[in-house]
Amino acid sequence: MRCAIVGSGLAALAAHATLRHAGVPAEEIAVFGTHEDPTDVWRVRAASIRQQRMRSESDGHLAPAAFPGLAVREAARRRMVRPLLETAASRYHPTVGDFLAHAGRVAERCGWAASFRRARVARVAAVEGGFELDGEGPFAHVLVATGHPGLYRPREYPHAVHAYEPHEYAARVAVVGAGMAAATEWLNALAAGSEVVSIRRREPVRRPLNVPRPLFTKRGLPAFHRLPPERRASFLRAIDQPSYPPGRAWDDPLERAMAEGRFSGSDPGQTPSREVQVICATGFLRGWQHDMLLSAIVRDHDLPTHGRWIVLDADGSVPALTDARRTLALAGVAAQWAFPAADTIAGAKYVARAFARRVCRTR
Amino acid sequence: MSYTLRGRIETRLAASLPALALALALHRWWAVELVALMLVVGVLLDTCVYHRALAYQPAWAALPLGALELALVYGLMRALEIAAPLGWALALYGSAWLSAQLCAHALFPRLRLEYAQSGGELGAAGAATAAAVALAVAGGLGADYAVRPPTVHLHGTVRGPLVIRHAETLTGGVVLGGIRVRANGVRIEHVTVVGGDDAIDVEHAQHVVIDDVRLIHFRYDGIRVLDAGVMIHDCSVSAPRTALATGVLIAYSMGRPMSMVDGCTIVGTREGISTHSSMVDVTDNHVVGTTARAISLSEMSMDSASGNRVEGAKGIGIVCMDHSVCEIHHNTIAGAEADGVDDPSRAGVAIESYFYAQARVSHNTVIASPGGVRALDESVITR
Repeated sequence: MRCAIVGSGLAALAAHATLRHAGVPAEEIAVFGTHEDPTDVWRVRAASIRQQRMRSESDGHLAPAAFPGLAVREAARRRMVRPLLETAASRYHPTVGDFLAHAGRVAERCGWAASFRRARVARVAAVEGGFELDGEGPFAHVLVATGHPGLYRPREYPHAVHAYEPHEYAARVAVVGAGMAAATEWLNALAAGSEVVSIRRREPVRRPLNVPRPLFTKRGLPAFHRLPPERRASFLRAIDQPSYPPGRAWDDPLERAMAEGRFSGSDPGQTPSREVQVICATGFLRGWQHDMLLSAIVRDHDLPTHGRWIVLDADGSVPALTDARRTLALAGVAAQWAFPAADTIAGAKYVARAFARRVCRTR
Repeated sequence: MSYTLRGRIETRLAASLPALALALALHRWWAVELVALMLVVGVLLDTCVYHRALAYQPAWAALPLGALELALVYGLMRALEIAAPLGWALALYGSAWLSAQLCAHALFPRLRLEYAQSGGELGAAGAATAAAVALAVAGGLGADYAVRPPTVHLHGTVRGPLVIRHAETLTGGVVLGGIRVRANGVRIEHVTVVGGDDAIDVEHAQHVVIDDVRLIHFRYDGIRVLDAGVMIHDCSVSAPRTALATGVLIAYSMGRPMSMVDGCTIVGTREGISTHSSMVDVTDNHVVGTTARAISLSEMSMDSASGNRVEGAKGIGIVCMDHSVCEIHHNTIAGAEADGVDDPSRAGVAIESYFYAQARVSHNTVIASPGGVRALDESVITR
């Protein structure tokens, strides 16, 4: 075994598919995780907020090559030109169903099942020739893709339901947060006939993707990578603000509800009354400190960190534990130091490609 | 996509491979020149405009940007006098645009996983391909330049007749005694010819261009074209030595590429422009004071005469005759005079169809020409 992927979610699947595309046999990849279906965790969250469409665009899928994207596939399947026109205008957003179905096919094609081992890894130890995972190994190349460390629930609302947990809507709903999940919950609750109060500290930014588009490519990334640590951390904090896409699909229902007096805003200082259902659309816990495995890696190897970020090279690898013969890289939200939109599909693929390059270089 | 500058240029050059291959397959220098022009315009726009203005370029932007580049390429093509047939040029541009879209949205993302995240950069292979394309285009242009016919500059007055037997450009100066063209691909420009039986005589040749020449004191024809294809622009023909002279005569050239007489001024000849068994466009000429016919389209010719001004023609202004098929439109014929004989075909006729000819006539202006517009001797005029 040459490679190990710790975690069994979407980022892990992207890495597995990319390694397979690069010619690494499935038998040489071990995937350690708790869910045999890599879409399980994400599927539950998407279903909880009743997400219908992805925020990502046609190339927001987990196959290694961007083409054919989901728009082309949908156009071919439905024999319609509309998805192609929408993607040309950057307005195509695949349905969650299409995305998940495609992810399932990717997992099947890349032999995910042959690599999967049901195990929760608690320790990654650097040893001669690579890394041991809870004593197993050594693996020359390890990618840690454990995902978000948990749901974030503000202390003020200890009994609130989180948006990413299954829930229904009461007659009066208070949604805490102002990002994509919050906006989705506003519309869900309004559609269910509820009266909605939005509790937020700041107004959401309206932008198509999580971060400005140049930060997804080499156009914007080199400048980001050149930032000294303190400024890089400030930059990451600055772009880490709640946002959801612009468009009438979002605005029209809210404007109608406001006109009917069914949607209003509030600041976090006001405590909702007991009969109001509080939904926390506040995302996830942030920082390596909340992830047991990452905490152990940082502690055991005395890795440099900066605030809630582990310091990484531009390709997502941990510099202190990576050299010409071995790689320890992080994927998902933990890789933000390398790629600001690391917790997106584009981020997962960015790290996966860099990881595959390192694996192939040492074959 | 958010392109880097290098990504834009590499993508553009590599995506032009199909268009370059098509241009080379066409075996025409204009095609290579056109691809080079497209690339130069594109790379300049990439560098000076697109990279700064478009941090993110959605796919739909390819349409307006493509139209902008088409307009610029077309304008420069005209300014640089690249002799590309418009239809073929548009087809080549269209194929280049289409292949660029297919490469950028399908082929490159398929072949190189990092294509989008690299901002369109193609890695080592892309740089090599881009360099190869640039080299091929530069080589093509160099070869094009190297095989161009030489240019002969005439200074002062040269005693003729000059006989041209190889492709060349002859420019400037005064030639006494006439010029004879006996080779393809000859260009004569800015030359004054004085005397000679024919001032310029072209035989058995094609792709001959005669531009901005002044012809005087010749004996028979200002320009005589026999079994040849010529483009005659902006000539001045006047003061012949005999009363039997013709301004421009194009004869028996049906087997050659179409000819054109455009923007010439012809004064005081027996016939102004005369065609026989040829295909000629006679356009925007000014013919004054002819003594037989100002413009004669004859002997089974298939010609058109449009936008010409004919003044003071004795007998006939414009005639389509002897089984010819003619389009005659938007001409102005003023002051055609009867030549005194009792012949209705020469009674100051502005436009005439004669002896089994078929003329389609429209939008002409006839002034003070007593013979008007008429068909004679089994011929037809349709309007």
